Amino acid sequence: MIDSILLVDDENLFHLVFEDACSLLDITLSLKSVSSTDEAEKIFIERFKNKDKKPECVFVDLNIIGSKYDGIEMVRKINFEYGNGCVVGIISSSSDTEEQAKAIAAGAQFWIVKSDDIEPRLEEFRKDFDGYRTRKAPFKVYK
Amino acid sequence: MLELGKDIEEKLLKIYADNGVMLEGNIIKLIKPETSDFAEYLKTASDKDKENRRKRLEITKQIQSQNRDLIAAQEQNMSLMDELRGALKKAEDAKNNAENDLDILQKKTQFELIGSIIKVALWIIIGVGIITSLLYFIALMTNKDTKILESAWSNMFGILLTNSFSIIGTIMGVKYASKEDK
Repeated sequence: MIDSILLVDDENLFHLVFEDACSLLDITLSLKSVSSTDEAEKIFIERFKNKDKKPECVFVDLNIIGSKYDGIEMVRKINFEYGNGCVVGIISSSSDTEEQAKAIAAGAQFWIVKSDDIEPRLEEFRKDFDGYRTRKAPFKVYK
Repeated sequence: MLELGKDIEEKLLKIYADNGVMLEGNIIKLIKPETSDFAEYLKTASDKDKENRRKRLEITKQIQSQNRDLIAAQEQNMSLMDELRGALKKAEDAKNNAENDLDILQKKTQFELIGSIIKVALWIIIGVGIITSLLYFIALMTNKDTKILESAWSNMFGILLTNSFSIIGTIMGVKYASKEDK
């Protein structure tokens, strides 16, 4: 089971879907959802200051309306500025290969394609999670 | 894992028996039961929680799908509205062009008519002038009485000149009025 998850997505309905899917699949007991990269950045900055435990895994949407950064920039910041060992990846309805290449360059470890049937992808992701935690698993697209 | 103790377990079982209220959410997954009754209670609570989450997940997915449809329909409406606006603008432009063409055509017809009237009027004036002058000249050459012709000739020229100026005045007036309309 993943210790804690942070979801960064501007679609509030998806927060509910993700939360319920994670609970049904027993993926995590601690899930926090935020609607913008600004909020996510605040969380990381505060935890960095207070030396609190960071989320073990971060799912970032590719296009987050009303945010300072897009998903790829957020992934880059988590990887190189705040994250320090977090498993981080993109969750998006897009499966654009150019964007995926950018995400890899920013340090994303996975890419989950959002759809109505998200549960099988999360299930598969859960199985691969140990590989991501140890940084041994290669970048994978779940679609 | 969390151990609640037999007392609390019994209390929770009693609340469930009296009111049908159970523990909900992820906390259920963290509790370690001490009695078999409470283990059964936790299993029921977990199943109920899963069932509720499954229902909520389905409903949320339905709403998501409806939202997507609504957004697509809204985009379609917007594009239709844009097309309609474009078509309306084109129709208005075509109407304005047609009105301009009609106006030009009407003016052209008017000017052509005026031109024809002027030509006919000038030919009549010239014709009448020539005929009267010729008659007067013949009368003078043949030593005939020219009294009537004399006065008729001068009257005729007076009338013809007056009419000529009247025609010219009318033409100028029409031209001036058409300029004012623009």
